[in-house]
Amino acid sequence: MTVGPATVVLAHGLGGSGDLPVPYAYAMVGAAWALTFTFALVAFAWRRPRFDPRKPGRPLPAALTKIVDARATRWTAAALALLFTVWAVLAGVWGPRSNSNALLGVFYVLLWVGLVAASLAFGPVWQAISPMRTVYLVLRRMTPKRLRRPHLAYPASWGYRPAAAGLFAFVWLELASPDPASLPWVRSWLLVYAVLMLGGAWLCGQRWLARADPFGVYSMAVSRLSPFRRNPATGKIVVGNPLDHLPSLQVRPGVVVLLAVLLGSTAFDSFSSSPTWRAFADRISRGFGMPATVSSSVLRTLGMVVFICVVALTFSLAARATGGVDAEERRALPGQLAHSLIPIVVGYIFAHYLSYLVERGQQAVFALADPFGQGWNLLGLAHLHVAYVLSTHPPVLAGVKVACVVTGHIVAVIAAHDKALRLLPAGHQLTGQLTMMLTMVGYTFTGLYLLFGG
Amino acid sequence: MRLRDTLTLAWVAGLSCGLLACSNSGNQPAGAAPVVDVTIAKGQVTPTNATVAAKVHQQITFHVTSDATDELHVHSTPDHKFEVAAAPNQTFQFSVDVPGNVEVELHHLDRTIATIQVQP
Repeated sequence: MTVGPATVVLAHGLGGSGDLPVPYAYAMVGAAWALTFTFALVAFAWRRPRFDPRKPGRPLPAALTKIVDARATRWTAAALALLFTVWAVLAGVWGPRSNSNALLGVFYVLLWVGLVAASLAFGPVWQAISPMRTVYLVLRRMTPKRLRRPHLAYPASWGYRPAAAGLFAFVWLELASPDPASLPWVRSWLLVYAVLMLGGAWLCGQRWLARADPFGVYSMAVSRLSPFRRNPATGKIVVGNPLDHLPSLQVRPGVVVLLAVLLGSTAFDSFSSSPTWRAFADRISRGFGMPATVSSSVLRTLGMVVFICVVALTFSLAARATGGVDAEERRALPGQLAHSLIPIVVGYIFAHYLSYLVERGQQAVFALADPFGQGWNLLGLAHLHVAYVLSTHPPVLAGVKVACVVTGHIVAVIAAHDKALRLLPAGHQLTGQLTMMLTMVGYTFTGLYLLFGG
Repeated sequence: MRLRDTLTLAWVAGLSCGLLACSNSGNQPAGAAPVVDVTIAKGQVTPTNATVAAKVHQQITFHVTSDATDELHVHSTPDHKFEVAAAPNQTFQFSVDVPGNVEVELHHLDRTIATIQVQP
């Protein structure tokens, strides 16, 4: 069993086969669990809010915080990440011009999906390893003091919107651009990203990187589900219930759109490989009078925008659908409930991309051992074969996928219920959260239906 | 308990909607080695977006009749690429080693002929 050296273009820019659809029975069992749990929760659960990000958590040894925060650790992590990035980009510039190029694997698999896994396991890792932050900090050290100060304040009204736009640009390149496997496109994307991050940071300081870096904000949002967090009073690393951690997501403009981009694009990725969409796209794109690749790209872009808008609109409307609040409180509700969308996003991303991360991730790492196609074999990696541990066991993979979606749903519903008890006035707490629960059930059913094969 | 009745009703409604939505699309059983007949004429392909069931290591056959040259791409592990000539009755055979959804695509016409569900 060998990995073909020159595969051809397909969705995700990496080629190869996709996951088998989840069997019907699995999807139904998952859906039934999600529905039952939701209504049991609404009908019988606690009536006082339980989760609070100010809880101290269970402290870990003080040495851990010291090691993690040490300058040496920080600089080592940052330097290693920068070295890794340079390596991958060099592979993208001088490596083989096929989609076995290491840069594509690093960009689409290790960065996009690996970042979710790392942030979920350890916390906001991108902050520590972001290559653009490292470059910015090094450049700032070299410039004279006079020029170092930020020139402008980051506009508060922008919130997470630049990051949401950046994430959209990423998913567009991956799922809707004419050729996701095109190295020139990926290189240009990275160049624009680097220029925007460094330019913004030079103007607005590090706050720009915290708010506008798509990967930074993505990592930060996912890390709210991590068991590890900081004690808000002492700054020490503690381990605690992720449900206490989740509401600590800062509410800023664009937070709902940010999560809608992630959920909507992942759902569109499932949908766009279904025969229904294919047949529809083939029929429509003939009438465009444009080259086939361009018209299909336009159509995919529209489809993805529709999915994202549907998620953003349904979530915002469901959050607002309650009695007993005035207009201003109502407007604030979608943002205040946005954190409850994170588990659904993470559950669905794992369900959708798990085999991708595990199997294509191996391929990406092996490709890095021979970045220029010169027959190098660093660390003996280049001649290893991908272990298709998940694909060769479809029932296991299907079970894991359904479990991810249903777990994400259950955590989301618990978080939304708890926050509703805190936000909604007495007398509207039960009725006020019903629409949100139904919307979440809708997301989960759609997610399972898409995994089932549309 | 009016609330509980409503909830039960919603549960039943949701479940039956799910059943109806899913029951339309069944998988065809993977029995004999699959054979797909493809016709390419005047820039049109038949079939497109078909679903085919197969087993791992099973011989899959494509009979192609075409009036133009093209490339047949099989996005599997390992992947396969075949040159399609402007000629009738060409036969392409391959097998797939890793289970998954394998797309068979005509490269120049940019159309997916079939998705092969390769079961272990």
